[in-house]
Amino acid sequence: MFLVNELIALLAANLILTQALGTSTIFIAAGSRKNLVGTAFMITVFTFTGSVCAYFADKLLPEKYSDFKLLIYVISIGILYVILLSAFYFISRNNFENSRKYIHLSVFNCAVMGTLLTVSGKASENSSITEYMSAGLEAGIGFIVAALILTAAYRKLNSSKVPAAFRGFPAMIIYLGIISMAVYSLI
Amino acid sequence: MNKERSSVFSGIIGNNIVLSSLMVVSPVIICGDTLKNAAALVYAFSAITFLSVLISSFVPKKLSYTVKVIIYAIISSLVYIPVKWAAQEFFPGAVERIGIYFPLLAVNSLIIFRSEAELYKLPKNRMIIKLIFYILGFDAVMLTTGFIRELFAYGTINGRIVDVSTPVIGLAQPFGGFIFLGLFCGLYRWIRSIVISKKEEIRGDADVSGK
Repeated sequence: MFLVNELIALLAANLILTQALGTSTIFIAAGSRKNLVGTAFMITVFTFTGSVCAYFADKLLPEKYSDFKLLIYVISIGILYVILLSAFYFISRNNFENSRKYIHLSVFNCAVMGTLLTVSGKASENSSITEYMSAGLEAGIGFIVAALILTAAYRKLNSSKVPAAFRGFPAMIIYLGIISMAVYSLI
Repeated sequence: MNKERSSVFSGIIGNNIVLSSLMVVSPVIICGDTLKNAAALVYAFSAITFLSVLISSFVPKKLSYTVKVIIYAIISSLVYIPVKWAAQEFFPGAVERIGIYFPLLAVNSLIIFRSEAELYKLPKNRMIIKLIFYILGFDAVMLTTGFIRELFAYGTINGRIVDVSTPVIGLAQPFGGFIFLGLFCGLYRWIRSIVISKKEEIRGDADVSGK
């Protein structure tokens, strides 16, 4: 029962199905298992580490400069971007060529930036760093769940049985809409 | 020459960034439920994207891709600040209504990725024209979506009540946005395929008569 409740909570808080964040990226992720793992991993890394940056930005930035919040987030994600690329380069130069495309794809993504803005919007003055981190992790896992749901139907939605005009993107958006409707009924 | 010209102007219909490339779809899905929201988003997207891409086009091309992408994002998040102040003045309440989708427009993929891959490779004047048509393409989709969804979901046009016998309330919800955009996208592709096949037919006839 605990797992069911957790799954429902995860779906209800899913940024793709409820807020349409990272919709175009999920289509790339759902294309193949390799893309799914690579993109989902990078998105989760960015949402998780980005939330930590968002915590410090929210705590340190005075309220009257709140318009500069986006700029601070962008600089933070930019620094994480460079750190991640450097880390991948030094850890495994052979795999760097393959993995860097996922880093490029995930940075400044709507799912990442949207998570930071959503987490910050929901946070109160007393919110702790763990709340930010768990929200960031939840967003990353939510992306994986939505990508898995789309992967299950990806081949059929791209098959020749679907009318040419709706094959691919249009069918996938409608499919996400139907899943989103099911999630909406849970909220 | 004709092909080159049509590729510059293709941003509205032939190569629409929302319907063809699925870029910047989240504000269309979530906030495109009323004409008022759509107008505010059109203003924000147009102002932020045009100014950001224009300023970013002066960033030296010699820099590495990573550095350039970060600079583009920083420029657009700086442009966002005065655009937001102006929006609070001209569209009261719009910034609150649109919520996180307003700042998210500043890191849209047209500014960060498409411009680097496509626009900055063009001469400045062609780049500006192409950019304007990309922006107009987004604006057209946004306003159409806002108009239709508001009409059928709330039975109003720009807040004025009109006679719609059976409002489809779900159209105002995110899932309604997904389904509407999917149908709109399919319709666009269907019309585009008809136009392309007709053009090819005409070209084929012209070739035959030319021989």
